[in-house]
Amino acid sequence: MSSSLFHILNISQSAMLSGLQDLDITSNNLANVNTVGFKASRGNFQELLEQRQLEGVRSSSTQLLLNQGSLRYTQNPLDLAIQGEGFFGVTLADGRTAYTRDGQFHLDGNRQIVSAGGQRLVWQGQIPATAEEVAVDPNGVVSTRQGATWTRAGTIQTYRFANPTALQGYGENLWLSTPVSGQAQAGAPNAGNYGLIRSQSVEASNVNIANEMTHMMSLQRAFQISTRAFQQTDQMISLAISLRRG
Amino acid sequence: MIKGLYAAASAMIAGATRQEVLSHNAANMETPGFKQALISLDDFLHTPVVYPPGNRSGAGSLEFIGYHGLGVEATPETTDFSQGPLRETGEVLDLAIEGPGFFRLQTPDGERYSRDGRFLRNTAGQLANVDGYLVLGTTGQPIQIPEGSISIGQDGTITVNNQAAGRIGLAAFTDPETELTRDLPNAYAAAGAPTSQAVGNIQQGYLEYSNVNAAQLMGQMVSVARAYEAAQRMVQVQDELLGRSISQLGRL
Repeated sequence: MSSSLFHILNISQSAMLSGLQDLDITSNNLANVNTVGFKASRGNFQELLEQRQLEGVRSSSTQLLLNQGSLRYTQNPLDLAIQGEGFFGVTLADGRTAYTRDGQFHLDGNRQIVSAGGQRLVWQGQIPATAEEVAVDPNGVVSTRQGATWTRAGTIQTYRFANPTALQGYGENLWLSTPVSGQAQAGAPNAGNYGLIRSQSVEASNVNIANEMTHMMSLQRAFQISTRAFQQTDQMISLAISLRRG
Repeated sequence: MIKGLYAAASAMIAGATRQEVLSHNAANMETPGFKQALISLDDFLHTPVVYPPGNRSGAGSLEFIGYHGLGVEATPETTDFSQGPLRETGEVLDLAIEGPGFFRLQTPDGERYSRDGRFLRNTAGQLANVDGYLVLGTTGQPIQIPEGSISIGQDGTITVNNQAAGRIGLAAFTDPETELTRDLPNAYAAAGAPTSQAVGNIQQGYLEYSNVNAAQLMGQMVSVARAYEAAQRMVQVQDELLGRSISQLGRL
């Protein structure tokens, strides 16, 4: 086994870089403790070997943790929460579809159902101009009231993925599909493996503060030890250089 | 005297190798399923030391006194397969093995064994690990997981929506330290087929963390630092003695 002292510096450096990346992910989770529909992410770090040579550690993937967040009751009929699997689809400015669990929708001036960020919800139907009230049932059926009569205005479909843990974050609590997550499969809520829709509710963030804090503490310890290893290797290099005196 | 110089230098080289292994262990303190690499030092090459009879007339051949070590080298690294602590994650496809045994991974180079239970369901619906390698069932085939709510029993039986969907295979070895070698990231190659039937329990929603002991690691690192410093001083002392004997003997 050849071991150049400079190579050992790289090992500790890989650990410090991974530690910083992990800290970014943890900080982002902690910052979103109160963000509706937020899902925590986990950095998956993996041992790094090259031809069986010890090389330190690297970031393997970022995994979306999709545990259900708790539901909070609101009074807005267009606050929708999914209980179970599935995502709402919204249309981005560039025409692509992004997926979200943040169901804080409202009607815009054109009577379109839009998300808190202003993106239009993908659904099959139309809100009539005369609608006075809107309601959504657990199966995603949207009804509107004109006077005393309720009529069906359309349905909201939700989307599932073969591997939702690999969705790519787009920001603003939206995710995009990736080759690893698979294509979105649309389906009616409350059937098959699709979760049901709760109207007048929002899904709270699923970040577990205690877990994130403990993780941050062990992360800090690991970072300190690798920093210490880095410094020590540096001292060893300095000793090797000063072998020849005078 | 040149012998002493090389012996001292060999201690510096061995110190660097130890530092490499310790740095790698430190880098993977938070890697689930990681097993720390171990390294020890051993003296290499002995040379017989003989007593020259000098100018005694009639003395026989050289008189053997004993062996003299020529330095130290790091032994090939081994792996400490002791159990790491389990941490609860609550994730459906995070699995930890409590007790002996390894998950079986299908890789292009053949079957590899790992304790890292961070799994996911890939787009083809198969159980895979974070590096994308497929996890094998008891039958030696990849495990197909249908959509639905997944529950995994302690014996590795997978049920999805209350329907059986295969069973996670574990491989155990009577002496993993000698039978397994570090081959792929967090995965080991075996010299032969699994040699033990005793496998531990699978815990769903838990991960086994690395078995690196931080306090022990820091202690070892301090001893490496001091040993390296001492070896460096020894090289300098040997060099100084050599220089002095050359210059002063020449003056006679």
